[in-house]
Amino acid sequence: MRMNTYPDVIVIGAGLSGLTAAWQLAARGHRVRLITKGWGATHWHSGCIDVLGYFPIGNTPPVSLPRETLATLIANMPEHPYALVGIERLEAALDAFATLCHDAGYPLHGSLDSQWLLPSAVGAFRPTCLAPETMMAGDLSRHDREPMLIVGFERLNDFYPELIAANLIKQGHLARGTLVETPTLRRQKAINTLVLARLFEQATFRAEFIAAVKPKLGKAERVGIPAVLGFDNALAIKAELEKAFDRPIFEIPTVPPSVPGMRLHRILTRAIERAGGDIRTGMQVVAADTKGDRVTTIWTEAAARRVPHHADTFVLATGGILGGGITTTYTGEVREVVFGLPVNAPTDRMAWLYRDVLDERGHPIFRAGIRVNSSFRPLDGETPRYTNVHVIGTTLDGCEPLRERSFEGIAIATGFAVQDALPTTNHSTSA
Amino acid sequence: MFVEQTLDNCIKCNICVTECPVAAVTDKFPGPKYEGPQAARFRQPNQPLTDWSVDYCSGCRVCNMVCPTGVRIAEINARARAEMVRKGAFGWRTRLRNNLLARSELLGKVGHPIAPLANALLQNPLGRLAAEMTLGIARHAPLPTFSRERFTAWYRAHQPANAPKGKVVYFHGCSTEYYEPRVGRAAVRVLEANGFDVIIPPQHCCGLPLLSNGEFDAARNYHRRNVNSLVEYARQGIPIVGTSTSCTLTLKEEAPELLDAFDEESRLVAERTFDLSEFLLNLHTRGELNTEFRSIDLRAVYHPPCQYRAHRVGRPSLELLRLIPGLDIVESHAACCGIAGTYGFKAEKYEIAMQVGQPLFDLVRATGGPIAICDSETCRWQITHGSGVPSVHPMELLALAYGYEPEGVLQQQTL
Ligand code: SF4
Ligand code: SF4
Ligand code: SF4
Repeated sequence: MRMNTYPDVIVIGAGLSGLTAAWQLAARGHRVRLITKGWGATHWHSGCIDVLGYFPIGNTPPVSLPRETLATLIANMPEHPYALVGIERLEAALDAFATLCHDAGYPLHGSLDSQWLLPSAVGAFRPTCLAPETMMAGDLSRHDREPMLIVGFERLNDFYPELIAANLIKQGHLARGTLVETPTLRRQKAINTLVLARLFEQATFRAEFIAAVKPKLGKAERVGIPAVLGFDNALAIKAELEKAFDRPIFEIPTVPPSVPGMRLHRILTRAIERAGGDIRTGMQVVAADTKGDRVTTIWTEAAARRVPHHADTFVLATGGILGGGITTTYTGEVREVVFGLPVNAPTDRMAWLYRDVLDERGHPIFRAGIRVNSSFRPLDGETPRYTNVHVIGTTLDGCEPLRERSFEGIAIATGFAVQDALPTTNHSTSA
Repeated sequence: MFVEQTLDNCIKCNICVTECPVAAVTDKFPGPKYEGPQAARFRQPNQPLTDWSVDYCSGCRVCNMVCPTGVRIAEINARARAEMVRKGAFGWRTRLRNNLLARSELLGKVGHPIAPLANALLQNPLGRLAAEMTLGIARHAPLPTFSRERFTAWYRAHQPANAPKGKVVYFHGCSTEYYEPRVGRAAVRVLEANGFDVIIPPQHCCGLPLLSNGEFDAARNYHRRNVNSLVEYARQGIPIVGTSTSCTLTLKEEAPELLDAFDEESRLVAERTFDLSEFLLNLHTRGELNTEFRSIDLRAVYHPPCQYRAHRVGRPSLELLRLIPGLDIVESHAACCGIAGTYGFKAEKYEIAMQVGQPLFDLVRATGGPIAICDSETCRWQITHGSGVPSVHPMELLALAYGYEPEGVLQQQTL
């Protein structure tokens, strides 16, 4: 008897796109194995779902009605991942994702018909489409006059309330910054977002925090704090603080490790495992076997050997230049690391970067990506290089996630849409 | 890539810090990024030692498994500790204690012949208090008891079955030899049920406890002797299997990598070494596993030890256990049980180890099965110590499913 638990799909990479694909495919009855070197983008990003912040890029005012602007983008950029996915599937993907988070007790709010403007850790505004409930009260788009108190923690690096407040004031908002310290924090050798998130899960620490902030509230009508309100009970913790302060409170995303990003990571990995998916970390793909236009097996590095993994379909979600899915060599080659797929990038090394680091046009090398057809099969010229490989997320060509502020939107949309390109399955599911 | 070179890959993302189970419970240990790639920059030949905190790394390798750029953080930390030992940073009392805990083979040789007396001493509260005060061996930590019969004594008396499938070398490790021979008996039975002739060549401790206590010279000696004893079999293509996931990891990777043992013989042995479940699952992939299992009606938690995850071969024991009808396995996602080899036996680390293991103990208790399942011996002792639930090796259940008589705690179950 042979085992029947072999995967029919292997997803490579555990950023937001790989996790979304693994979750959706497992929930639809595929036997999914997710293979990843380690965790990635989810621990860096803000925990908000940016769909489209700027278009065309370089145009200063942020997109205010994503749905309309997306239609323009799709009409003008037929190779953009959003054009491959289409607005309908993008919206279905966002709905499914929001429902998953809602059911996990961590609702996200927003839609393609509006845009949140939320303060960043330097007090700039960030346009985003879906925001967790813990961040909503920070919205700056209302142009209201509700004064804000921004609270930081002594010794927490890269979160300076006075700086945030000063920048908010420059943009016409009323804000004040303050730092707090508590007895527990004073005893703590190191302070970082993780330490704080773990402390906020303890009632005694929350009481200390409330006692430290209350006398400073003054005329503030809402309170902003770094995004550290615990991992699993952020909503309840927020409610408790709001009751004590008698004011709305909102989280502001921090530099990594990002607690709101990790919350989404936990929700997704749990969903994958509930649906019977098999997550394997610490596994780096080092080779692939192919037969004609199909990949048959990938090999991962292990102690003293390489281990084979067979599947019918492979979904590549390893990220672009920044995520490590695409690398460059000293000899001027731009390589896709797993299958050696053709990358669309300038062939002349001198054309990778502009002279000025902050050049407004954005460096061409960051646009390097894999061209795909409408079913996400990687193209070699105009024909698919492999018929059972699908490429998703920021590994894709035709977009500039960072400058468009479309990173999470592209990841979730393509991670969701890739299921339509796979053969349907009749495995029973344990979801 | 060599261990130290990997530190240049670090992108300071802090992902390792988010997962380190030790940093989560104590601020004596700031976390993998700080101790590993960051502090390693200051650990240069003529520099003074950096601070003590790296000794609080348990070596569980959880950090390695989540780092997106492949930094070998746990190994960097292990080497830093060895450097501290070499430079005399630990006092004689600590080194004596660490050596006592780490020399499981020596301990076995001394303790086994006087098992009843040794057991009485090791389990005596007054004796344990004294050991904590003089040596720093945590008085509540779960020390094992010596078995009456050594595993190899049983094996010599054992009648091998018909073996059409050829030979397999079994590396039993110290714990099977002196404390839990039932695990070795189960392994031999499972292999025989699959038609293999089990060979047990002379062998020594794999050296892992010494490696994780920074005693690299002693570890090198053990590793060399094992390679000498095993390499002939490896040359003939005979697989070497083990039931202790830390022994097999040491033969495969830890010893060669940490000790720079990149010679041909060490490599041959490493390449032919398998964890027994890994080996059996490979058989199954080829359709060659004997799957005539009788059903075992039982619900139990299976905890994949971190040492096993570090093999990077998935969860073979879990897949095998799921082949046994009736067996309802609850998979533990806990990062670590806390004990980390000899770590949790040390008085200054006992509490940390118990806190690290708490989520796992809670899961085991909440699941409410009569047993828990884990591949690594010290983890089994720790799980039992923390949860009060007896623990067995996956092979014990496999042997039972092949129709062999149950032993140990499984005997007391009506299955
Ligand atoms: S090996 Fe374990 S204890 Fe040590 S730094 Fe890594 S995760 Fe932390
Ligand atoms: S996870 Fe890896 S890359 Fe990130 S900080 Fe830790 S060691 Fe560095
Ligand atoms: S003791 Fe067990 S669970 Fe803990 S570190 Fe070791 S192998 Fe991991």
